[in-house]
Amino acid sequence: MGDILGLVAKRLGLGLVILLIISVIIFFMVELLPGDIAQAVLGQGATPENLAALRKEMGLDQPAIVRYLGWLKGAVMLDFGNSIVTGASVSETIGTRFANTLFLAAYAAAIAVPISIVLGVLVALARNSIFDRVANVATLTSISSPEFFLGYILILYLAVKTGMFPAIASLREGMDFGDLLYRTFLPALTLVLVVTAHMMRMTRAAIINLLASPYIEMARLKGTPPWKVIVKHALPNAWAPIINVVALNLAYLITGVVLVEVVFVYPGIGQALVDAVSKRDFPVVQACCLIFAATFILLNLAADVGAILTNPRLRHPK
Amino acid sequence: MTKKKDVLLKIRDLKIEGYSDETWVPIIKGVDLTLHRGEVMGLIGESGAGKSTIGAACMGYARDGTRISNGSIEFDGMELTTATEADRRMLRGSRIAYVAQSAAASFNPAHKIIDQHTEAPLQYRLKKRLEAQEDAMELYEKLRLPNPQEIGFRYPHQVSGGQLQRAMTAMAMSCRPDLIIFDEPTTALDVTTQIEVLAAIRDIVDEFNTAAIYITHDLAVVAQMADTIKVLLKGEEVEEAPTKEMLDNPQEEYTKSLWAVRSFESPQKQRPKDGVPLISVRHVDAAYTKGEKILDDVSFDIYEGMTVAVVGESGSGKSTTARVITGLLPPMKGEVLFKGTPFPPDYRNRTKDQLRQCQMIYQMADTALNPKLKISELIGRPAQFYGGLKGVALKNRVDALLDMIELEPSQYYNRYPTELSGGQKQRIGIARALAAEPSFIVCDEVTSALDQLVAEGILRLLDRLQRDLNLAYMFITHDLATVRSIADEVVVMQHGKVVEQGPKDDMFTPPHHPYTDLLLSSVPEMDPNWLTTLLEERGIDNVGDAAAARLDPKDPKLTGANA
Amino acid sequence: MSVFVIIYYTLLLGASCLAAYFNKRSAFLLLFSLTLVSFVLGIVGGVGALRAVAIAAGLLALAAMVSYAFREFLIAIASHNMAKELRTAPLTAAFGMFVIFTYAIAGIFAPWIAPFGEAQVISSAFAPADENMLLGADQLGRDMFSRIIYGARNTVALALAGTVLAFTLGAMAGLLAATTGGYFDQFLGRMSDVIMSIPSLIFALLMLSIFGGELANDTTSFWLLTGFAVLVGLLFVTAVAEGNVMSWIIGLAIMVGVAVAFAGGMLVIFNPSEIILVLVVAVIYSPRVFRLTRAVAGNVVVMDYIEAAKLRGERRWYLIRREILPNSAAPLVAEFGLEFCFVFLLIAGLSFLGLGIQPPTADWGSMVRENATLISFGELTPLIPAAAIALLTVAVNFVVDWMLYRSSGLKV
Repeated sequence: MGDILGLVAKRLGLGLVILLIISVIIFFMVELLPGDIAQAVLGQGATPENLAALRKEMGLDQPAIVRYLGWLKGAVMLDFGNSIVTGASVSETIGTRFANTLFLAAYAAAIAVPISIVLGVLVALARNSIFDRVANVATLTSISSPEFFLGYILILYLAVKTGMFPAIASLREGMDFGDLLYRTFLPALTLVLVVTAHMMRMTRAAIINLLASPYIEMARLKGTPPWKVIVKHALPNAWAPIINVVALNLAYLITGVVLVEVVFVYPGIGQALVDAVSKRDFPVVQACCLIFAATFILLNLAADVGAILTNPRLRHPK
Repeated sequence: MTKKKDVLLKIRDLKIEGYSDETWVPIIKGVDLTLHRGEVMGLIGESGAGKSTIGAACMGYARDGTRISNGSIEFDGMELTTATEADRRMLRGSRIAYVAQSAAASFNPAHKIIDQHTEAPLQYRLKKRLEAQEDAMELYEKLRLPNPQEIGFRYPHQVSGGQLQRAMTAMAMSCRPDLIIFDEPTTALDVTTQIEVLAAIRDIVDEFNTAAIYITHDLAVVAQMADTIKVLLKGEEVEEAPTKEMLDNPQEEYTKSLWAVRSFESPQKQRPKDGVPLISVRHVDAAYTKGEKILDDVSFDIYEGMTVAVVGESGSGKSTTARVITGLLPPMKGEVLFKGTPFPPDYRNRTKDQLRQCQMIYQMADTALNPKLKISELIGRPAQFYGGLKGVALKNRVDALLDMIELEPSQYYNRYPTELSGGQKQRIGIARALAAEPSFIVCDEVTSALDQLVAEGILRLLDRLQRDLNLAYMFITHDLATVRSIADEVVVMQHGKVVEQGPKDDMFTPPHHPYTDLLLSSVPEMDPNWLTTLLEERGIDNVGDAAAARLDPKDPKLTGANA
Repeated sequence: MSVFVIIYYTLLLGASCLAAYFNKRSAFLLLFSLTLVSFVLGIVGGVGALRAVAIAAGLLALAAMVSYAFREFLIAIASHNMAKELRTAPLTAAFGMFVIFTYAIAGIFAPWIAPFGEAQVISSAFAPADENMLLGADQLGRDMFSRIIYGARNTVALALAGTVLAFTLGAMAGLLAATTGGYFDQFLGRMSDVIMSIPSLIFALLMLSIFGGELANDTTSFWLLTGFAVLVGLLFVTAVAEGNVMSWIIGLAIMVGVAVAFAGGMLVIFNPSEIILVLVVAVIYSPRVFRLTRAVAGNVVVMDYIEAAKLRGERRWYLIRREILPNSAAPLVAEFGLEFCFVFLLIAGLSFLGLGIQPPTADWGSMVRENATLISFGELTPLIPAAAIALLTVAVNFVVDWMLYRSSGLKV
């Protein structure tokens, strides 16, 4: 077991280092701007006195490294400073939005993960049949379509023409959970369509890969019934690839959400990021990027740790 | 030995097709087979003969991408080709069992060995779990596995290859089947390990009077195991006869040629009286980065025009020695001399001429030849690179080289390696080495991936080229028959050390060093009684891993080596 | 119950029975499951739904026929070896090739095909389709059809440029890392790990927020382009020159010249904000290309024939050019197609967010955004540019799917 703990610890350490490097990239990229944030806030017409005062207020008179450390310290404590457009606290602005985004992603994942894994396994079992081919074409099409295409099709047919669901996923205080699920159904469905296709294909590939191994043939030649071959012989070895598939797609959900949020005007962090980028509100951009990157890294980390933990060779060392 | 009993398996006019390149092509073209209860039949043939496919068909099983297109397979009165899949499945594991070539890959890594063993008996409700486990331990003991009470509770990756193969045989026995298919069960094992597995398989098949089909390409092995032998060639039967008869008096030309393979022997050359060795390996220690030492004080000489065979089992350091000589792995200690002057340890520091002198021929011609280059460029490149040949001169040189390796130049000049057979590819590999005009060639298991007849041709070619061009060979091999036919001197290696070296004739006459002795005695011979005699002579506990473990590492012969 | 419904079911059931009678198992399964689905659809959606199914089936049949004919056409005009390859192409791949071909024609001959200019205002905003305007007008009164044709040129060219840049950098670095190994390999590997840990869309937004504003000018984009080209050139010179000082000097001189010429050339074709977009895409996707090339080349490098060439004393450039590249070409070409899809979708997404290609350049992503309001009136128009995006990526993916299957599934 010592080996496993060591590997997991090593992987966690690596994740932390990568996150740190990314924080450096995110912070210092903004430093590349000609002039500085103060200039950007006040625009061309600012007087030198005003500029100096703002610089002092924002701590821009200090060297970059000091400011970075201050920013990092704040980020660890979830304090990302103030927006330079509205002046409000960044954490407060994006806090609830991040929760909304997580809700949407979780909603989509709760539908997509079980469906796609079951479908992926079924398609792998019926490989090269007509259903496999139809599924192949359908998933390829779904993957290739931009999220906003799928989103607008759903709006057009399920909201505008039939009026079954609301086209705009507006949230109100004190909505009950059923209403919430109903109002966010279309954005969640868009995400489900894209992610399910991805996950199905990857699950199918992982299972087919596994079914070619000699121990599966051995199990068949031992007279093991087909369902048992899958459940007892294939599945225990399939956890690592399946965990990987799920984590990768959850990570994809987190970023795919940006476009979907814009299409459905959903008050999530993705829209906040897009607004901030067009308004050049750098503290918000930095905070959103760091949050997205951290989530992404965390999910990849979870996949790797899961793969380590389910590997029988590592679990039962020599 | 032949037992006249009722027929267990009857195959008539079996035809199997495989799917490749968008069409179905025949693999088995009408084979008959009759197997009686308790009889062991050896299926032998070269690669592509369809042995394994027939083995699987005996269970009514067609692998992915193959289909049984015609014929009947009757097992104990039941027709398998028309039976439902469920009925066929009921036979598998309970009445017909299967032992695969690679036990390491065929055990599921996620379950304990004993759980996989008891799966079939539990599935068929033949035994309760505890009974099945006890039975497993009993079988483990019969198969002479160490710690039979405990070994089943390990995971496959925690057990060695030879032991896994026996555990798989035990698993096949778990329901006491009527028939076991052994599909090359010892091919992946070292000779000393192979002997234990062979002995164990033979004993248990005898004890339970199980019928078996033993698939292999090794004649000597099949001679030990089988009552009757069936020879296959490209999906068709050549002949079938009881073992003794088949060995003494083969009828067909093809079978005779298989039997005759081991007759080639090149006369042994003597070292020149007082010459400088061409290659001299001096006290070399080597290790891969951060790993433990692979080579430990290895020393030997290779003289001009002579063949030195380096023999040993997997992991003995043969190939590492070659890597040190070619400069791919700079040694930690010691040096390699070429005509008395030191070779730079790293090949990147060697001059063009030094690189030219020392060429290499590889085991797998498939991976040794760039599949995207034409033969003309494969062979022509060294001539162009070292000799600066161009245009007509280059073409003439390539033609001459193709002539030398007995391939018609005009026919092969513009072809790609993928269009050639295994033996032809290996010849191209030889021509590429010759194109550099070297004085020394490392041959790394050059014949072990080839069928026997083809290998024979390659050995003869190498021998002729040596005489014509005065080449020195370092011949890495695990096959003592190859050593016998081509070597002048032999170096025996074990665990990275040279345990014995000397002229071939001395090495093959006793007294031997204990490890050499073990190695020599473990090589199966064509005599059907060889295994029985050997086990009687050495004792059942003095073969294989057990015997190797007994070798005293402090034995003066092991540490000293005769210089 | 209308006549249409009766004919619909009669045809379906008749076809299923025929398929069953002639033992065409898969055709029967498909037809009969379609019949069953139609029952449900018919009850839920009425005749309209069935009509939609019939139209979809007709379109599908049409697409299949076009694909079949196009494949036969390609086989007829291709050389012997190519024809042999093409015969293995499934209809989906043939369909993909046909679509790519059509887009290429539309893109190259856009000015001749499009009836109006891309920025030309010809009628009122959102004017409906008439005999002049095939698809109506957009929010400023420009011809939708012409803009879609021009979009094929602008969007695809940009995505193609981004993919090519990402590919040159990534593939060059990957090949070099595979042949060199050691710390260089380790360093590049770690670096690509870091970049790939930032989700691509997010990273693109971050970079655009910085380079998108006043930095998107001629000077900055020129220097960024030159810097990028110098980076690629440096890798190239490292691969070719090895230890020779003289070749280093010559190589560096040539490289700087080429870099400047390249940057100048790019500025002629694209405007500064587009160049920033191309570079952003190249930076984001080159690590992915690097990782794949490194993996593919890594599998080749361990082959004995590479060892044989190294022991012969061959130089690195020969190894890359004659030994490694020919053996990794197939997966790399497929990867190029795949990367193109990613890049294309990313650029379309950015444009949709209003941060990519800037008006008045006709571009599919921004066209969707500009006309999105029409959706709430039940109009299909904004979906057309989105469908154009989807159709191209689907087409490329179909072809890539076939190529991947050829290079991995079928080992001859």
